[in-house]
Amino acid sequence: MKEADLPAARRRVRDTLAHREPDRVPIDLGSTSVTGIHVSVVAALREYYGLPRQPVKVYDVSQMLGAVDADLAAAMGVDTWGIPRRRSHYGFVNENWKPWRLNGLEILVGGGFEVDTEPNGDIVIYPQGDRSVPPSGRMPAGGWFFDAIIRQNHFDPDHLDPADNLEEFRPIPDEDLTWNVNWLPEGEASGRAIIAGFGGTGFGDIAIVPAPGLKDPRGIRDITEWYVSLRSRRSYIHAVFEKQCEIALQNLKRIHAAIGNRIDVVYLCGTDFGTQTSAFCSVATFRELWLPYYKAICGWIHAHSGWKCFKHSCGSVERFFESLIEAGFDIINPVQCSAAGMDPVRLKKTYGGRLVFWGGGVDTQKTLAFGTPDQVREEVLNRCEVFAPGGGFVFNPVHNIQAQTPVANVIAMLNAVHEFNGVRHA
Amino acid sequence: MPEFEKLHQAILEGDQKSARALTEAMLAEGVAPMDMITKSMVPAMDEVGRRFECEEYFVPELLLSARAMKGAMELLRPLLAASGAQPAGRVVIGTVKGDLHDIGKNLVASMLEGGGFEVVDLGADVAPEKFIDAVKNSGAQIVALSALLTVTMPSMRTTIEALNQAGLRSKVKVMVGGAPVTPQFATEIGADGYSETASSAVQLARKLVAETAA
Repeated sequence: MKEADLPAARRRVRDTLAHREPDRVPIDLGSTSVTGIHVSVVAALREYYGLPRQPVKVYDVSQMLGAVDADLAAAMGVDTWGIPRRRSHYGFVNENWKPWRLNGLEILVGGGFEVDTEPNGDIVIYPQGDRSVPPSGRMPAGGWFFDAIIRQNHFDPDHLDPADNLEEFRPIPDEDLTWNVNWLPEGEASGRAIIAGFGGTGFGDIAIVPAPGLKDPRGIRDITEWYVSLRSRRSYIHAVFEKQCEIALQNLKRIHAAIGNRIDVVYLCGTDFGTQTSAFCSVATFRELWLPYYKAICGWIHAHSGWKCFKHSCGSVERFFESLIEAGFDIINPVQCSAAGMDPVRLKKTYGGRLVFWGGGVDTQKTLAFGTPDQVREEVLNRCEVFAPGGGFVFNPVHNIQAQTPVANVIAMLNAVHEFNGVRHA
Repeated sequence: MPEFEKLHQAILEGDQKSARALTEAMLAEGVAPMDMITKSMVPAMDEVGRRFECEEYFVPELLLSARAMKGAMELLRPLLAASGAQPAGRVVIGTVKGDLHDIGKNLVASMLEGGGFEVVDLGADVAPEKFIDAVKNSGAQIVALSALLTVTMPSMRTTIEALNQAGLRSKVKVMVGGAPVTPQFATEIGADGYSETASSAVQLARKLVAETAA
């Protein structure tokens, strides 16, 4: 299909990805695991818009992100559509949905979602739904998310084998491949830009390191141990990344052979390199440990497909932007403007022609969670004014919209984008 | 290189094996544990903090140095207890109820320990009553609260309120930190101090202890 014949939403995203100013700023809410909405807020938004009351599906039970169905996406004016992930963070398949209650709210979870409530009210979740092994995740009593339980059960620092840290990286199963192919018609029919994340390309993503989907993980699974290994066991880290990269490239070849250019964006890696005030490692460490593998992945994608490469990293990460561009990333998310050195005006001026800012729309730690609707509106309008000119901007808040965020603020956020765009919605 | 300087260097380089070996050797030679702390370990961790602040060091380096320091400290702690030596201060630290994230809290705890403080680390998802018990049992001058999530920030307020209700608030200083926490929020909930980084937490704790003593 020619660009001009594409549905408006998809063309809008394609334009902005090509650094052409689209007819309006495109909006993403819900297409990835880093641009989503907590299920409790999804349910509240459905109620606000008067949409049918129904339990919301949760594909990402770790962060408890709710599915943004077509009716809600239309009400909010969303321009993106993400292929749902077949396997959850905890290793079970998102099929055979069943109800579960999260702090009183009925939601839907995959059939393999198996949990127990401990005497203190904490909820623990089992990997691959297997109750015969110890749980791999915990939600504190009254909490809204699951966090990985660290299982560092077979750790012998003098006899480490990189293969142990590769158990979760494997050739993509046929059923996962088919799942992605089968979802595409719905995405294409939506008229929105299609985003996909196939997994396997998150190098050292600290959310993945504890391997919450494995029943009995080996290797370095403790978060602190992993971080110190970035300094003290570099050859081990290289060995893990090298093999992981090799597996990922084989998978990408198979996936591309099956879906071709039917997607617009591929979500590749969620490894966070930034903190609020600084970075997790130096640029030199990044270039030694990550750059070669990112280059291999992005290089293959650009040589063989039209997919745009999406990189997520929270925090103060401006220092890595030149290296990320060199690696071949086209898109940076979530653009945490509140972190040190992440001034939106300077970022747009310096990198706006080379990186697409997918996020940065409004702060989720402060303004959206605790501010007033007027403060939200003001910040959103300001960010749109900074990031929108010349394209290269997809509106999304800074990371997922968290639980207990006031719906009035989410509505104020959306209204502000529509106001900027000069259109009315809902 | 004099032994104090070697131990200082081992901690700076995050070399736990050397730090422990040097500590053992110095103990065998009769060096006073408190001298090792004040002449090697505290200055080394201060330097680690300085390098972290000016971005010569990052999280991996800080963690490695903290490990080296802790490895040496494990050897000294029983001797210090026996000698009745006083730490720079006592801190009860934890991630507040409902929040399981502890990397930031662990970094702060390590830096405080490296700064000569005695640290009672209660871990993550700590209920207010556990903080109260720990303050009563340890005689801490400072309670340090951490939160990573916007949804758990209110637990900081309830912890401070619980300290108040237990009649302990006037006896301890409360310092807070964590990704979404701001100085304004710290003021709003009645905390005595806010720290943005692990290394600046040590400066803050020293200031708060001085205020307690004044």
